[in-house]
Amino acid sequence: MNQRISRRAWISSLCGGFGAVGLSAAMRGPGPHFTPKAKHVIFLFMTGGPSQMDLFDPKPALAKYEGQRPPSVDLRTERVTGGLLPSPFSFAKYGRGGVDVSELLPNIAATIDEICVLRSVYTFNPTHTPARNLIHSGNIAATRPSMGAWISYGLGTENENLPAFVVLSPSATGGSLWRAGFLPAEHQGTHFNHSEAEPDKMIRYLRNTQLDREGQRRQLDLVQALNRKHHDSFGADAFLEGRIQAMETAYRMQMAASDVFDLRKEPEPVRTEYGTTPFANGCLLARRLVESGVRYVHLYYGQGQVWDDHKEINKNLRERCPDMDKASAALIRDLKRRGLLDETLIVWGGEFGRTPVSENGDGRDHNPYGFTMWMAGAGIRGGMAYGATDEFGFKAVEDRVSIHDLHATILHQLGLDHEKLTYRYAGRDFRLTDVHGTVIQDILA
Amino acid sequence: MSVHWTEISLSIALLAPTVGAQTAGVELFEKKIRPVLAGKCYACHSSKLKAPMGGLVLDTKSGLLRGGDTGPAIVPGKPAESRLLEALKYIDPQLQMPPSGKLGDAVVADFTEWIASGAPDPREDRSSTPRSAGAQGMSIEAGRKWWAFQPVRELPAPKVKGSEWARKKIDFFLLSQLEQKGVAPSPAADARTLIRRAFLDLHGLRPTYEEVEAFARDSRPDAYEQLIDRLLASPHYGERWGRYWLDVARYAEDNPTSEATNPPYPYAWRYRDWVIEAVNQDIPYDRFVKLQLAADQMPEATRSDLRALGFLGTAPVYHKDARLSKEVIETLASDDWDERVDAVTRGLLGLTVACARCHDHKFDPITTKDYYGLASVFASTAAVLRPIRDIDPETEKRFLWVQQRLIHLDYLEKLMKGEPGTKPDEAAKKAEKFRAEIEQLKQEMESVRGRYPELVKYVAKFGTEATRRRRGDGPPPNEPFINAVYDAGLWVDGSDPDLTLMDYRPGTSRDLPVFLRGSVSSPGEPAPRRFLSVLSGPDDAPFRKGSGRLELAQSIFDDGSPLAARLIVNRVWAWHFGKPLAGTPSDFGTQGEKPSHPELLDDLASRFIANGWSFKWLHREIMLSAAYQQASAPRADGESADPNNRLLWRMNPRRMDIEAFRDSILQASGTLDTAMYGPSTDLEVATNERRTVYAKISRSRLHAILRLYDFSDPSQHSPGRDLTTTPLQQLFVFNSPFLQEHAAALARRVEGEADAGEQVRKLYRMVLARDPSGDEVDLALTYLARGTLPHYTQALLSTNEFIFWP
Repeated sequence: MNQRISRRAWISSLCGGFGAVGLSAAMRGPGPHFTPKAKHVIFLFMTGGPSQMDLFDPKPALAKYEGQRPPSVDLRTERVTGGLLPSPFSFAKYGRGGVDVSELLPNIAATIDEICVLRSVYTFNPTHTPARNLIHSGNIAATRPSMGAWISYGLGTENENLPAFVVLSPSATGGSLWRAGFLPAEHQGTHFNHSEAEPDKMIRYLRNTQLDREGQRRQLDLVQALNRKHHDSFGADAFLEGRIQAMETAYRMQMAASDVFDLRKEPEPVRTEYGTTPFANGCLLARRLVESGVRYVHLYYGQGQVWDDHKEINKNLRERCPDMDKASAALIRDLKRRGLLDETLIVWGGEFGRTPVSENGDGRDHNPYGFTMWMAGAGIRGGMAYGATDEFGFKAVEDRVSIHDLHATILHQLGLDHEKLTYRYAGRDFRLTDVHGTVIQDILA
Repeated sequence: MSVHWTEISLSIALLAPTVGAQTAGVELFEKKIRPVLAGKCYACHSSKLKAPMGGLVLDTKSGLLRGGDTGPAIVPGKPAESRLLEALKYIDPQLQMPPSGKLGDAVVADFTEWIASGAPDPREDRSSTPRSAGAQGMSIEAGRKWWAFQPVRELPAPKVKGSEWARKKIDFFLLSQLEQKGVAPSPAADARTLIRRAFLDLHGLRPTYEEVEAFARDSRPDAYEQLIDRLLASPHYGERWGRYWLDVARYAEDNPTSEATNPPYPYAWRYRDWVIEAVNQDIPYDRFVKLQLAADQMPEATRSDLRALGFLGTAPVYHKDARLSKEVIETLASDDWDERVDAVTRGLLGLTVACARCHDHKFDPITTKDYYGLASVFASTAAVLRPIRDIDPETEKRFLWVQQRLIHLDYLEKLMKGEPGTKPDEAAKKAEKFRAEIEQLKQEMESVRGRYPELVKYVAKFGTEATRRRRGDGPPPNEPFINAVYDAGLWVDGSDPDLTLMDYRPGTSRDLPVFLRGSVSSPGEPAPRRFLSVLSGPDDAPFRKGSGRLELAQSIFDDGSPLAARLIVNRVWAWHFGKPLAGTPSDFGTQGEKPSHPELLDDLASRFIANGWSFKWLHREIMLSAAYQQASAPRADGESADPNNRLLWRMNPRRMDIEAFRDSILQASGTLDTAMYGPSTDLEVATNERRTVYAKISRSRLHAILRLYDFSDPSQHSPGRDLTTTPLQQLFVFNSPFLQEHAAALARRVEGEADAGEQVRKLYRMVLARDPSGDEVDLALTYLARGTLPHYTQALLSTNEFIFWP
């Protein structure tokens, strides 16, 4: 707790003494519209679409009707599918709400009282790219601003030395997913490669490879002396002043970011608790970023469509889940210990789920009709499962949650009314939720 | 069918008997009507619902009056014509409400009385947004009176007191407003500022020290005019102004997601080169646009002009996985058409027609029928590679179809072989069938080997591993093709339950129906290809020639010419002055900002047309004005009277965009490669020292430096760039190898100088095109006592003065 305050205080002390020009305008957005529960969001994005039937949504009927193809599962998906494929993984009920969790996820199971499992999410498109666009931006075309950009626009930043919207991904492809779209460019996600542990490998141009700090300061002093002379001769100008300040911020950012991004500064027990995989690094980094005032961290599980298990799904899940499980649960526990879970919303999930019917015999196809996501922290009721899919886990049938509902709820926890968070562009007011979306009131504490 | 809200309001006002009766009516509403509506109707007919039943909303006053999909719910004063009452009475078996059972006769009597008394309703609307599909902002008739649609005409210069200041006609319009507000214009900028401004403006490069000094010394009265003419005659002008157009045209060389069915555009650069050439040749704007929409249908266009079709041929396209349903594929295709409608209407007409995809435009006089009339043009236009050299039309037409077919078959065959799914036997059979057709089509193309070997070479790769996409590399960009379009309607074939096929029909146009609420599964009335009704005369006929692209282009410059001219003049104004006359350069509809100087815009647009839509004429007209030549320094009196400088009491100071900034760094370091044209080069490559206009522009991976410096998102039309100033940009300035290496190159240019003082003097000339002051030399020498020359040169390149555009 103390550590958190001291780091944040230290970082904010770095940005003291700023004039009201340029950057400061970006500090504040049009929101919040009401008292927020969450100040930050960490989205743990499971690219590819993880399987709900194997992780959070047990379906005994799959075993009973194994290999059969009842009419209710004859839904068109991307690929050609076969009969029902049972999950080999056992489930048990955990926590005060008796929430089902698969044996693959013992650590998440142990923290289930912080988690609300949404078992009835659905999306509109069975192909990765459009579905991913939808969950990132509320639209299947890659043109609208990403949710993180909307949140940056809505709430501004808490720390001038760091971007409000940070993307952690081992690969720089997918830049369109963290676009600002028609929002001002300052709201676009800033990408860092979290598979590295050293800051200057993560952040482009963070380190000056030629000058030490003193040398840099001398060079900057020269530039600023010339800038001030130029400014004096030209007269007051927002751009000239803003750039002088941005240079100072950049100078300090090198140090601030070096500190925040340097995972080697974490005590060994903490690193062990998260693990040392790239995803674990990402989770730990997400915590450090949130702690330093970053609004929105979008963490991609790995490179490419990792959870896209068209074949050998059981083997893949056995290999992949321990890492995801351990780091996700560590993140929840760590945030809680630091008193940050109350103000940080964690969202977990992919662009869709997987089919209860098999593909290639031992795989599962994309399933947009019904899948599982979960949320934790920041005013979300823990220890509950919300909504339900049909008896095979194909289609959400009870308390259905659309992607727009999910977005509306995330914004709501941040104190933003999804109908009021608008931006005028191309002749009309745009929203993250377009003309849809209802806040899922039943999962709010 | 739908009744205008305003008309109803009017009728209420006329019907409203007396104030006393009105009060009684309100009381009746509160006591007898509202409780019934709330208890029996809101559950299905509330504005809080995402999709109120039948589009009918009863919890707002306007909702009640507007009614639902079948018309108004009530007609105030006329119980007999009110459908709500009819429903309550349970007379019509198709219209009985509430469905839970007929309400008592007393309730029906209350409603009858209330409607007869004019249906007073005290409820305030929570939201002014109408929800029904029939809601409409402005009628076509009212729309025809909108300012932006009126003919442009030359206007007499306004009378001003200080006419000696004015140099061009536009100055009179500006000065007239300045005088009304009591603000004086600024004095002329000094010669050194002026030449720098003109160079950056027309070339995106800085003048050399020698050029600056020569200009400062030139005392001829027409020295500045000669400078402008010289700059306009240089090919660097096209590189600068062509790039502005490429923002409008959302130019890029690949797709937002480059997948199997929407691969990159290897010859997009030929479109970029055409734009640069065309701008340098000062092709009249109307022709410039017509060529981009329909060069292949203009008899006088040359084969080389077909490169202009890249405007449509490199437009963003979404991936269409053949395993998706017909409906999904059709939706994706209609997203593609939507993008074209948007780019053409916002880009060329300043109208947000894409707003009318799901419903009539909520503010502007644009209907869904208008929207689908235009979308049909693009549903009848297909993107293809066309040969760059002349070819006989029949062979070409066949080749274009064969090409599309081969791309599709090749994709399908690989899909069936690579991911056969759970019906491997069927998949194998299909793969065989696709393969056979591929071979047959390739065989067919053999017949032109003698005349057009490049076509045979092109088709050879299909059905082989050569078409398998590897990340990052496309076909070689030098093959003799252009990314263009031709007339072929697209139909989506859903006859196979497992594979959705694309059916292109050359020479056949596809007239879409209106898709109700934007859904491809809800076709409404037909929407034949035609121009926007609000801009067309009463005799507006559907397009007849092919896809209608040429007719569309002609309509823009015929019926739409006042709008088209105002729009482009406003854009050019913004590129010169940093701010437009009308604040929303791609929206001249009712939601857009009206121009600060409407007469000036009209007069200039009218003379632009009269002068043959010539950009070079327009540049001269603007740049030779006193307004353009003003100093840009701030002035207290101006700031207080007009802080946003709408009146142009000074020139707007700016910072360089990324093109000018990067090119200027290369120029200062002496490494700028001024070669023009050709395939694009990657900004990531350290040795890339070509002008930024030749950089590879990607929709899927826009280069980090372009993003950092506010480059327009090339996935959609951009009304203009929003220039930001961020700390991450400064990290680039101080820490990037690009800056460091070019600073080092710059330092090497002065290594041979006798002493540090001389080096500093030379560097100031190279970087800032001026001599340093004594202070500046002192600062430099103090720095150099401990710092290195390359770090000093980097500091100079980092200064505000360097990136500033005063």
